[in-house]
Amino acid sequence: MKLRVCGTTYEGQVVDLRSHPVAGGDVATAVRGARPLPVVDAASPGPVYNYCGRIHPAMGLRTETALAVAARSRGHGTAHDDAIVELREQLADLERAEPTLPRAREPVDDATVADLRERVAATRGRLEARETLGAETEAVEQRLTETAGTLAERETERTAARQSRRQRRERAREYRDRQAECRRLADRLANRRRDARRELLDRVADDYAAALDTVPGLPSDESPEDPFDAPPVPAGLAILRLARTDAPVVVETDRFRSPAAAADWLDAPVVRC
Amino acid sequence: MLLVVTYTRGARRDLRNVCRAHEESVVRQFGRAALLSATEFGAFQALRLREKHGLDVQLERVRPFEPEDVPAHVREAARAYEDREVASTPYRQFASGRDLPTAEQLRGEEL
Repeated sequence: MKLRVCGTTYEGQVVDLRSHPVAGGDVATAVRGARPLPVVDAASPGPVYNYCGRIHPAMGLRTETALAVAARSRGHGTAHDDAIVELREQLADLERAEPTLPRAREPVDDATVADLRERVAATRGRLEARETLGAETEAVEQRLTETAGTLAERETERTAARQSRRQRRERAREYRDRQAECRRLADRLANRRRDARRELLDRVADDYAAALDTVPGLPSDESPEDPFDAPPVPAGLAILRLARTDAPVVVETDRFRSPAAAADWLDAPVVRC
Repeated sequence: MLLVVTYTRGARRDLRNVCRAHEESVVRQFGRAALLSATEFGAFQALRLREKHGLDVQLERVRPFEPEDVPAHVREAARAYEDREVASTPYRQFASGRDLPTAEQLRGEEL
């Protein structure tokens, strides 16, 4: 790796920055490429670096997840991988956007339409009666035209309102069906990933336990019965030892005699901060 | 009653909060759904969720349903079938040869 800090360029498998006021977190972030400074020129880190790219006393660690990721970095696969890829693709293919619905319309009361119909019929009756009598019909005719016009309008509105309501419900239902399908797929994906993780852990559990046993400076009262209960620093170191680690690891622990010893034990480029 | 069904975690969380805060308006709460009382306040809470979460909140009106609301032949079919001697007999087979509606007939009739 090449590392440029405070105007000095360091090169090699091991860089000791203890005499520099450089935060280990900044170096680790730079190694991941999420920060321009300090300038790091090294192999790009795999996903395991998101969990234990920086070993320091205050770190937290999701040991099982990190170990499964480490197992992947070593090329381990599982019987679930094809299903996981397929489920991911199915999920990605699902249209998730909320559809735009037709405008909601005020519903038109059936009683209003029925009432208008009655008035049209009554007015028409009156018009016919006046025609039979030979009486003046202009006013009644006008009223009939007006009432019939209002009726037609209300009926159109009612049809439009019903149609819009039906479309709104249909589109909402399609959208919710997709949402439900997403949930089903996401649940299945989560189950598969859990199974895959279990399988990966089974494959490397012995290697991990063996690595944990040889972590330097592990006091006996720190050694838990279950290797997965180990504190973050030794657990992270053990995981790094068995992971593929081409990119620099930031080490901020005194467990190793020297940065070179850390690099040697981890089989990784090391930046000691 | 008003049925509120949620389709995302956020909507579900807010529904739970509404139910916790307004117990008197909640008829029943299920995992990601709840029945709210058919009051303007129930509708107000339901609409708030709908405003916030859009189509991820489904609102439906629920009417009481009693066996008496259903035509007699449906009730009789249900009673007779649940009274069958062999539990594994499918309804189709059970109904044939008896004076009972077929499943297709039942499906074809709106309540």
